[in-house]
Order: sequence, then C-alpha cells, then structure tokens
Amino acid sequence: MNIVKKLLYSLICAALITGAALSAPTSAYAGSCCGGGSPANLLVPKYARAVADISFDYEKYDGFWDQDGKHIPDLQGSDLRQYRVNMGFAYRFSNRFQASLIVPYVWNKNTYSGLSSHSSGLGDSTLSLWYEALEDLSTWRIKTAKDMVPSVNIGPSLLIPLGISPYDDAEGSFDVCGRGFYRIDGNVLIEKTIQPWNLSLLFSYGKYIERPVNREYGTYKEPYDKVLGDRISTTISLSYAYYIGSGGDTLTGSVSYAYLHEENAKIDGSEMESSGFMKKSIGGSVVYSGTDSDWSFRGAWSHTIKRDGWGESFPSTDIFTLGVRYAIR
Amino acid sequence: MLFARKWYVLVLLILLGACGSNLSPSGDDKREPVDPGTVGPGVGQIAPDFSVSDIDGNTVSKASAMSAKKGIVLYFTMWCPTCDAHMSHMLDNIIPSFPEVGFYAVDYVSSSVSGARSAAAASGFIGTPFTILADTDQTMLDDYDATMGTTVVIDSDGIIRMNEDYKDGARLKDVLSGLP
Repeated sequence: MNIVKKLLYSLICAALITGAALSAPTSAYAGSCCGGGSPANLLVPKYARAVADISFDYEKYDGFWDQDGKHIPDLQGSDLRQYRVNMGFAYRFSNRFQASLIVPYVWNKNTYSGLSSHSSGLGDSTLSLWYEALEDLSTWRIKTAKDMVPSVNIGPSLLIPLGISPYDDAEGSFDVCGRGFYRIDGNVLIEKTIQPWNLSLLFSYGKYIERPVNREYGTYKEPYDKVLGDRISTTISLSYAYYIGSGGDTLTGSVSYAYLHEENAKIDGSEMESSGFMKKSIGGSVVYSGTDSDWSFRGAWSHTIKRDGWGESFPSTDIFTLGVRYAIR
Repeated sequence: MLFARKWYVLVLLILLGACGSNLSPSGDDKREPVDPGTVGPGVGQIAPDFSVSDIDGNTVSKASAMSAKKGIVLYFTMWCPTCDAHMSHMLDNIIPSFPEVGFYAVDYVSSSVSGARSAAAASGFIGTPFTILADTDQTMLDDYDATMGTTVVIDSDGIIRMNEDYKDGARLKDVLSGLP
C-alpha cells in the first residue's frame, strides 16, 4: 500500500472513530523531537471569524524516566533546552465548522560536559478540523438540567512531519526537530462554563501512518517499514475568571493535568519493546483579555513531577509559554 | 476576510516550500557499495582503530577488545531514555546468548572518564556485562559515523558487519548469530 492510500485509509478510519465515539484528537502536543510542543486546541470564538496566535515556548529538560518508570537525573554538566515559536491560525468556515493550522519553529540547544550542539528548523505541524456538535448556551444562569449541557467540539487533525527527523537529512540526534511520521488524531473537546468557572476535557486518540525508512541520521541503510504506536492524550483543566474593575477585562487562571501515552513502535510488523512512552504532567496558566476580548495575552507553565512513576521512557521537562492571540471579527 | 485568506495562502506556501523527504518518504535502497579493502564505518569495511579509556581507567583499543572474541558490539549512548531502553533490552535479550562477544557502550557526551563513570552509575549500568568506554573527544563517534543508538558489530577479522540504529535488536541478533 503506498503512502497516499495509507493516508486516505487512515483519514477514513479517523473519521469513523470520530463519528462513532464523539472523539477526535488534537494532539495536545505538536510533534517536537520528544513529543512536547504547542497546544493544538486553537478555536475561533463565536463572535469572530478567525484567530491568529503566536506563542513562545521554552522547554527545559531535567532528567528522564526509564522504561520501568524510575526517574534518572540528567548527566552532570548537561543543559538541554528547546525553544519554539508556534504560529497558529484558525478560521471559521461556518457557524459550526472551523479549521486551524499550527506551525512551530524549533531551536535545539544541547550542552553536555563534553559536547555541545545547536540546531533549528521547522517542527512537525498540526492541521485540525473542528465541528461544534453541542453549544454551551447557558454560562451565566443554571436553572434546569438543560443548562448543564456543555459545549462539545469534535474533529480530526493531521500531524504533518515538517521537522527534520532521524530518517531525514539529519547529521545526528541533536538535529532532530520532528518525528518523521504523519499522524491522524480524533479529538474531542468538552467544556462547561458556569461563570466564573470553566471545566474542560480534551481527549485525543492518534494513529501514525507506516512509512518506509531508507536512511538513519543522513546515512542510507537497508530499507524497512516503521510505524510508531497509537497515542492517547488527555488534558483536564479547571479555570476561574476574575473580572478586573467594571470595564470587563478578565484575568483567567487555570490548573490542568495531562496524560500522554504512546504504544510501542513496529518495524516490519514486529513490535519494538520499550519504544513507547508515558508522561503525566500538571500545568497552570494565566490569561489576560481586554473588554472586547479581541486581544488576549497568556503565560503558562507545564511541569512534570520528577518522581518515579510519573513517566516511562520519556524526558521530564518544564515548559514555559508566553503567547498572544488576536480574534479577527 | 481578505487578510485571513492571504494568511492561509502564505502558510500553505511555507508548508509546500518546506516539503522534505519526510513528506513523501522513499523506501528505495540508496546505499552505495563500499570498497572492502578500505578503512571506514560502512558495512564490509575495515573497522577504524580506536584507543580510549574505559570508566575504570583501562585503555581499550580495537585490538585488545577483539582479543579472544568472536566479535564486538559498540553501542553509542548519550544516556537518554531511548539509549536506556536499548541497553536494557540488550542486557536481557541479547548479551546472555552471546558470551563470546564483547559488548561496549560508548559514552560520547561526557568530557571525562569520571563523568562517564558517574553517568553509567546514575543509569544503573555499573557492574553489568557492558564495558563503558569514555569517548571524551568524540573520535569514535566521528570515525564510526555514529549518533545516539548506533550499533556497530565488528567481527574477529576486524570487518564491520553492522552499523545502524539498534531499533528492536532483531537485526543485531541475526548478525551476531552469523559471526564465524
């Protein structure tokens, strides 16, 4: 089966999954080399036609979990960082349909006691389609059970492997900015607002598309087929909006918990033991938006607990984000 | 909404302009034949000499490593999650089946022998069948055209039998089983 057929097959599968389970992905994590990345739930609010968003991430690596979940500290003298600028745009096509695209640009900066490396390039990007299945019509008054209906957005997303991967023209592992695989996700985003509180749940299930590999880190090798394992991502967050003065400006604080799991990869149909990973993380954010809500500014922090059991075969990191978003009416 | 449409066109142009081999990957075998009589990192070539310290301070050369062995395995590690998984897999599934093969983990990110020892200890590989080599100036990394996870098999004649990513270890097992 060639890559186009596989892509179409996966798109169909994703659509079926989405329709059947009211779930769809947005990878909560755009693909950087290690799976961290920009938030993909870039949605256009009802009053706007489009949203432009730009954010800056600083990700600091601090150890990793081995395949048994034991946390291992980084080497003495090492300093591993990744910086990302995420450019996002979302456009509403109709009252219920919208699409978004997020393209990160990645800088890797790795320093060990005996080696240092700098590299940069586009990262893997996410194209999403969203359908508003249910609308939250009552955010201020809750009198009946009907007022408790949340908003539900569903849709597929496609991870596009724009970043330099191990199977591309990379000289070494430090040059990697992407994973090298297309991925189709089914996403569902459920939100309920009872002012000033908001509770949201984002669930994604993703399937990578198998691809041929004929080189590793720039050197041609005996060809083989590889596919990464299925991925589940869940984020639950609770927000509180504080109204500043009488002008309508708001300051919204959120706390969140995220779970990410990826199954083992396969090579020529055989499973690669311990190639999957798991990570749990907590986060917080503060968003300021003006009275008309056209502009908003945010700061966020995603933190992994550097203890045994909070991850498997994955680096533990802190991600600090600053972003600005503009809604185009 | 003219602005929005222009923005979309711009982004699409950026994406198309960035189209690399990842977007349409090839499965064609593009390996170039190597000259068997030459020294180099390719399969079939004579393995480059090396002389580095292990984490106990002993000097290890290609000749000493090959002594009385059917072959040796060089695994290049930067003590990352993937490296840890590969090395653990090797310990559990490969090394016990090949007692006549020497297994070497090459640390190419530590600047000193003591640093390599600390890294090996932190990752739990002290006292295992791996001999940890401190490639402090990345000579082996360069000579073997290696990176994280590169696995090299050298037979008793000093010829490279394998030089590729560890992946699931199946290829390593096949190559080691085929050593004379």
